[in-house]
Amino acid sequence: MAKHSYEYNNMNPTATVLRRLDPMVIEKPRNPIHIHTYGGETPFFRGLTEGRLMATKCVNKKCDPSGKAGYYHLPPRVYCPDCLEKMTWEDITDLARKTARIHTHITVANPGAFNRVPVPCEIISVEIDGVATVIMSYLRGAKPEIGMPIEPVFETANPTYTILDLSWVPRR
Amino acid sequence: MIKFGKGNLATPKQMRPVYIVAAGMSDFKKHYPEKKTEELAVEAFRMLALENGLKVDGIQELKRHIHTCFYGHFADHFGDQLLGESVIHDRLGLDPMGNCGVKTGGATGGSTIWMAANAIASGYSDCALAMGWERMDEVDTWTGNHYIATAADKDYETELGHIYTGYYALMAQRYWKTFGKSSPKFRRTMSKISVKNHGYACSNPFAQAPARITVEDVEKSPIVADPLRFYDACLMSVGVAAVLLCDEETAYKLSAHPIRLWIGAGSHTLRTADRRIMDIPLLPNEENNKDVLKLYAGLKGGKNKERYPGFTGFLAARMAAYYAYHMTGIVDPCEELDLVELHDAFTISDIQTYEDIGLRPYSMGPDYIESGDAYLKVPEDGTFPKSLAGKKGRLPSNLSGGLIGNMHAVGATGIMQVGELLWQLQGKWAHFHARPEMWERFGKKKPKDFVNLQVPNAKRGLAISHAGVGSHVTCTILMNPKSVIKK
Repeated sequence: MAKHSYEYNNMNPTATVLRRLDPMVIEKPRNPIHIHTYGGETPFFRGLTEGRLMATKCVNKKCDPSGKAGYYHLPPRVYCPDCLEKMTWEDITDLARKTARIHTHITVANPGAFNRVPVPCEIISVEIDGVATVIMSYLRGAKPEIGMPIEPVFETANPTYTILDLSWVPRR
Repeated sequence: MIKFGKGNLATPKQMRPVYIVAAGMSDFKKHYPEKKTEELAVEAFRMLALENGLKVDGIQELKRHIHTCFYGHFADHFGDQLLGESVIHDRLGLDPMGNCGVKTGGATGGSTIWMAANAIASGYSDCALAMGWERMDEVDTWTGNHYIATAADKDYETELGHIYTGYYALMAQRYWKTFGKSSPKFRRTMSKISVKNHGYACSNPFAQAPARITVEDVEKSPIVADPLRFYDACLMSVGVAAVLLCDEETAYKLSAHPIRLWIGAGSHTLRTADRRIMDIPLLPNEENNKDVLKLYAGLKGGKNKERYPGFTGFLAARMAAYYAYHMTGIVDPCEELDLVELHDAFTISDIQTYEDIGLRPYSMGPDYIESGDAYLKVPEDGTFPKSLAGKKGRLPSNLSGGLIGNMHAVGATGIMQVGELLWQLQGKWAHFHARPEMWERFGKKKPKDFVNLQVPNAKRGLAISHAGVGSHVTCTILMNPKSVIKK
């Protein structure tokens, strides 16, 4: 963690560079850093660094359908999207190990600037039993196929503290 | 929300009729260093004011009618200018009239018209400007892709490749494997859409990417994100479009041919991840159709456990069409409309939209192309059966060239579509596309193979403005006042 947590920007004025005279076109470089919080979703991102997949569940029995159905939301939500009551956190790592499969997938050969997923990026959407949603993630070491059984892998040794700490491999 | 109450599904009301009287646009280009966005905005406004046959003595007399302005501009970070709306408003010299910026991703243009229409319908304003623009040429393509990807959820999606095309392609892949069965026949239908829209762009002097290409050219073009190839994807553009909306009295004061306008809007979760299984909301032409109901029951409960409308359909488009059809009394869009301008961000999303808005039931979208319905004149190049070739289609689509052939200057796109519909319904398509001076003002020459794309006797049209993986969609319907369905 930075010593002075709010001294994060490169405050040097950026030099402009002339690219073209008529019409006059210039370069305006800059290099800002954003300080970003995960707030109430911290248990999910901390869970990834500790090898756990944390999801949320609505326990309000009057809530239709999230509470009544009792299914998990992943990505997690602090508040239930239906009744807006606070949701409960649960560890679904085992459930994911046993039941996760690929709902759909895409291979990205030319990712955008700042990408850190290994190229070609095998982006996947993941179905898990008991989970109402289909989280986006990425597959390692295999060509994805719809329906392929997979299991989660966690970047606990060198975490990025981002969604990239979660990836998947074919189920062993 | 996946369960609806009466309040959610109420038919939207206009407290008084809304009319559209004029449109104007710049030409569209990938890079446009010759002009600042403000200059393009003034040029689009000048066209709107001076070239639509308005009964006013010049620009200043028109400006004295305008009461509010709505400006669609999606990506502040591309232009590196917050409050760009205020810059444009100043250059148009429309201060101190109230103005408001609108941004809903790819649907920004449609949403801008939605806001302007509501200002007229409510009685707040008698004359409102809706103008949209985008400038995407200040950064290189890779930075541009990252910028666009920040329209996905930054914590759960953007890190995964920093490429928005990929997030949409997840849906395309699911549709392709489920309904397209990954078949060459389905691939060919996708290619025909690209050939059609690049081809129509050849008769549009505003267009960025006119091209006479073949289905083979599309299928040999480089893969962007499988199954999407280079020619399956829309353009990135710089440009501006504007339309002028009025109440009835002002409309007839300003124009000899005002056109009625209605618009509905829908939404769906930003993250495709959050799209829960739900019942398919039914459109008027599906409600009592036993075949469609049987088909939908099969799709939902099938062994694929398809996540309807989740990954293969756009719920936002369906909701926008639901509201717009109920507002206007449209039951069968293929019968009651004369042309459409759809948001062809990708060939496959175009097909998905045919289903969302009821041109065909879910899973049967390709038939809208293969039946010849989508063409002003079905191609005679051997890609269609002899029985169809050369015939007029029932509901021509994207005669402007759409996002694939004409432009996708995000905030302007939905406004360009409605401007093109207006000119078609007023019978003015040739005035804005066929005159050689229209080509010359953009530094182009009218091509020898120019085709007249005015739809004969066009009375009703529809435009879909759509954001990304379907977070926002608007459905605009235009009708000649004599051809209004629901009195």
